[in-house]
Amino acid sequence: MTTDHRATLSAARSEALGALRAAPDLDALDAARSAYMGKRSALTGVQRQLGGLDADARRALGREVNAVRAELSAAEATRRAELESRRDSVVLATDAIDVTLPPRVPARGRLHPIVETTEAMLDILVGLGYRVAEGPEVETDWFNFDALNTPPDHPARSLQDTIYVRHPGAGNRTDEDGSTGLPLRTSTSPMQIRAMLRQEPPLFVAVPGRVFRADTADATHLPMFHQIEGLAVAPGLSFADLKGSLFVAARALLGEDARLRLRPHFFPFTEPSCELDAWYGGRWMELLGAGMVHPNVLVAGGYDPDEVSGFAWGMGTDRMAMVRHGVTDLRLFVENDVRFLASV
Amino acid sequence: MRVPVSWLSEYVDVPESLDDLADVLTLGGHEVEAVERPTGGTSGVRVAEVIDVARIAGSDKLHLVHVTDGEATHEIVCGASNYAPGDKVAAALPGATLRGQLEIGRRQLFGHTSNGMLASAKELGVGDDHAGIWVLDHDAPLGADVAEWLDLDDAVLVLEVTPDRGYALSLHGLARDLAALTGVDLRLPDAGALPTGGDVVPVTISDPDRCRRFDARVIRGVHVSPSPAWLQRRLVAAGMRPVSNVVDATNAALLETGNPVHAYDLALLAGPAIEVRTAMAGESLQTLDGVERALDSDDLLICDAGGPVALAGVMGGAATEIGHGTTDVLLEVANFTSRTVLRTARRHQLHTEGSKRWERQVPPEAAPVAATRCAGLIAELAGGVVTGGADHFPTPVERPVIRLRTDRARARLGLDLDATAQGALLESISCDVAPETADLLVVTPPAYRPDLVAEVDLQEEIVRLHGFDRVPARVPSTGQVGGRSPAHEARRAVRRVLAGGGWMEAMPYPFIAESDVDLLGLPSGDRRNRTIALVNPLSKQEAVLRTTLLPGLLRVVRRNVNRQLHDVAVFEVGHVFLPPTRDEPAADGGPDGTLLPAEPQRLGLVATGAFEAGRHDRPGRASDVYDLLGACELVREVLGLPAFEVAATDEAPLHPGRAARLRLDGVDIGVVGELHPRVAGAFEVPARTLVGELRLDPLIADGIRPRQAVVPSTLPPVGFDVAVVVDESVPAADVEAAVRAGAGRRLTSCTLFDEFRGDQLGEGRKSLAYRLRLSDPETQLRDTDEAVAIEAVARAVAERVGGRLRR
Repeated sequence: MTTDHRATLSAARSEALGALRAAPDLDALDAARSAYMGKRSALTGVQRQLGGLDADARRALGREVNAVRAELSAAEATRRAELESRRDSVVLATDAIDVTLPPRVPARGRLHPIVETTEAMLDILVGLGYRVAEGPEVETDWFNFDALNTPPDHPARSLQDTIYVRHPGAGNRTDEDGSTGLPLRTSTSPMQIRAMLRQEPPLFVAVPGRVFRADTADATHLPMFHQIEGLAVAPGLSFADLKGSLFVAARALLGEDARLRLRPHFFPFTEPSCELDAWYGGRWMELLGAGMVHPNVLVAGGYDPDEVSGFAWGMGTDRMAMVRHGVTDLRLFVENDVRFLASV
Repeated sequence: MRVPVSWLSEYVDVPESLDDLADVLTLGGHEVEAVERPTGGTSGVRVAEVIDVARIAGSDKLHLVHVTDGEATHEIVCGASNYAPGDKVAAALPGATLRGQLEIGRRQLFGHTSNGMLASAKELGVGDDHAGIWVLDHDAPLGADVAEWLDLDDAVLVLEVTPDRGYALSLHGLARDLAALTGVDLRLPDAGALPTGGDVVPVTISDPDRCRRFDARVIRGVHVSPSPAWLQRRLVAAGMRPVSNVVDATNAALLETGNPVHAYDLALLAGPAIEVRTAMAGESLQTLDGVERALDSDDLLICDAGGPVALAGVMGGAATEIGHGTTDVLLEVANFTSRTVLRTARRHQLHTEGSKRWERQVPPEAAPVAATRCAGLIAELAGGVVTGGADHFPTPVERPVIRLRTDRARARLGLDLDATAQGALLESISCDVAPETADLLVVTPPAYRPDLVAEVDLQEEIVRLHGFDRVPARVPSTGQVGGRSPAHEARRAVRRVLAGGGWMEAMPYPFIAESDVDLLGLPSGDRRNRTIALVNPLSKQEAVLRTTLLPGLLRVVRRNVNRQLHDVAVFEVGHVFLPPTRDEPAADGGPDGTLLPAEPQRLGLVATGAFEAGRHDRPGRASDVYDLLGACELVREVLGLPAFEVAATDEAPLHPGRAARLRLDGVDIGVVGELHPRVAGAFEVPARTLVGELRLDPLIADGIRPRQAVVPSTLPPVGFDVAVVVDESVPAADVEAAVRAGAGRRLTSCTLFDEFRGDQLGEGRKSLAYRLRLSDPETQLRDTDEAVAIEAVARAVAERVGGRLRR
């Protein structure tokens, strides 16, 4: 009796192994699995008859049946893995895409390069502890010139150099030379006075802003340009503090190994005055004008020059943006060609 | 200031290396902008004497010339004829090079071999005369190398002289600074004896406040001719044009001493008598440049008995000019105050070498030095004799006495220099220094430094002479946290979010044409019509300050579209200029309370063409009003502001059916929409160009408001759709508000996903379908909750917008 079962089992095993291993595709494998391992398979038939055997024979034959089933399962799994892998390689190959097609970039605009440069420079000054302040673009000649120690006949006040506007209300003042006393500010320096009048020392402010001169536009001049002003006033500040502050700020901008020098210069609102040069592209490039705040300017701001001293500087943002972005013609900044704007 | 190094070296030993010289001057405050060799690169040119000249047959211009250099005779063909046998000329022999450019060889001309050429002044770079060859001085050394003899390799320093340092517009002044900066000795000439009468021309100074000194010297028996070659070469190198020996002598004296000098033909002076006075009504003067100038009563004049002969300090008159026939000369070496010259030069737009120096102050003490030098040079070059003169110096100018607190200088400069060291530095520029106490020096600056009047001026000199490079570098603690104002931070966030959202930041000029506001077609009471005009605009297109950002941005669009760039989406954050109001006040007008315009900030948006560019797999999408509203949403969102109230508007300059006005908490913020077709036409921008302009200040005033967190529920939400049928005229915003109200506090999202019109809804009706999601952090929601919510929404839309739900 068990001999018959063994024979059946052996035949079923070899037939099933053959069918499973040779299954040409996953459907055939499923069919083979069902035929040789399913409810109606010879293997299951043998299993069903176990109940009619005595205990020892049942145990022995049961072990054999289980071994065969395990062997068939393994063979099926092996074949399934082979067939799935073959199927995947075909199907995924047809899914293939060309990854060199253009990427889908969300439409992105840009900050204007002058704005970006301004903010980058402000970050440095903020890092040094300066607070950012801003002032009006239409100024009075008191803030723009008088308070900044500019002599009454100074050529910078003339209509050749400075753009003046009419008064917003009635009572228009117009001087002999055509000035109305309302210049478009020629530098960010008038904000020095406003900051001093607004706040007691110590004062450490950075003033970004747009300034104007009566210049016709060419590659290196625009009637409108940008500056960042710095002003530090506190008891005991010296020219050495000015030098150290400008040097750390310039090195933050240009790199720690930047070669820098201070050179004597003249401004009516500072004394001593200087310009800061950086060695760039094989020559000295002027970065900014600076100096110790002139006592007359401190007085105009309501400070006592015997109590406090200070330093100030003004830096051309446009020039710095030109260097940062490799721009050789300033007019590009105001033309607003979208190709230019997108390129920087 | 152009400084020929050989000329400067006459007064001081200059550093051997030009780079060192340039560095010393630059770091001493006289920036060397360039080092040139305007006549460099010439070799093989020799002084030769003309033996004979003969016309070449068959040519109407060419001559055959024989010259000798003392060693050999050379046959040269020459086109010019301004010379004669016995004249000395510059012969460029074969192999010679002129100014590093022109190589000279032998040439065949009309059957003759030309062995080189005879050079003109222009070819040698010593003048602009190209009409003839350069005839040299009779005493030019025969056979000498012209480059060596005339020092043609002499370098010229181009200096930027700052407005305070008038002395640096003179070779003497620069030599003084160089001596102080390098510690070498000076070799300056002094004034010599002052003139003491004799053959004098009477001088009356009627305005001694403006004319502080007048040294008048008479020189008789001059022979006017071209200057010697060395002087011409130097004047050209210094940027001046050689004229004649007498005039060149005045210019040389000016360059050397910094004191302008003027020479008159004494025979042409009426009287002769001189008066220095201001102009009278109706007077005029033809100046040396040939221009007839109407004089202003503020102009200071030099007059003879017949009227004006010079514009004091600026330019002489044509009538009394030195000419070839001049034999007697009156030298004027005066002193004028800077203000008077500045005003006259500006009034007549006549900026000369003289006026440039007066404007920066010339000390009266310079006059006799310049007069003695000039008179001596004229005698040397033109053979005259000084027969008399008088120095009118009614009120000597007092030199200031400055008290220098050396401890203060130490503190303000950050320099560890004691009183002795500070005094020594000031003495190196010829200050008189007397110690009063241990820390106090009494300092009298030298006459040549009229710019030194206050203690800070001395502080500046101390640190300049000590060397900026020797100042230690310290970084002070600011004692505070740096930062931007909340409004600045908010504005920066607005810019960044818009740039991230596809908008380019533009920056046009803030000037527009007055007609631009007319083109916008604003109602007559609109503030934006009240533009503020520029007094001196750069062009008519830029004649007023903008009251709105739109014209500038529309011009940006037009320029790009003209360049075939059709897809433009730009924004600008900037000021407009308006008469101030209570909401938009002006900045402080200063001590005299001047009324300034208000400068409120605006956000401008303009777009045309595709907002999303097409690709191979997806078509592009044209920008529309919802892109503008989306940009506003980005702004609102990044600033943490509550929702805008959006309502249709039909105001100019917008399309009446495609524009929205935005409010925030009831405060007007601005408008967005399509540009009215007529306005688009007027600004020459494409139809359906989109514009928006928002008031930025109320949005950013409080900075970026921190948003309050929403705690999400972990229980599963309930989601369902409702479709609301309403009248076509009901705005979607009202429908959504009704749906939201009906859905109640559990609503977490409400999204419009469909808009539908069709016959089954009936004429003039539309259906808006929303996807709603409810959730509650505490309660598990059930189907009954959904049913209750739907009924509540149905009631709300019925009550609020007269709608019904499609079921």
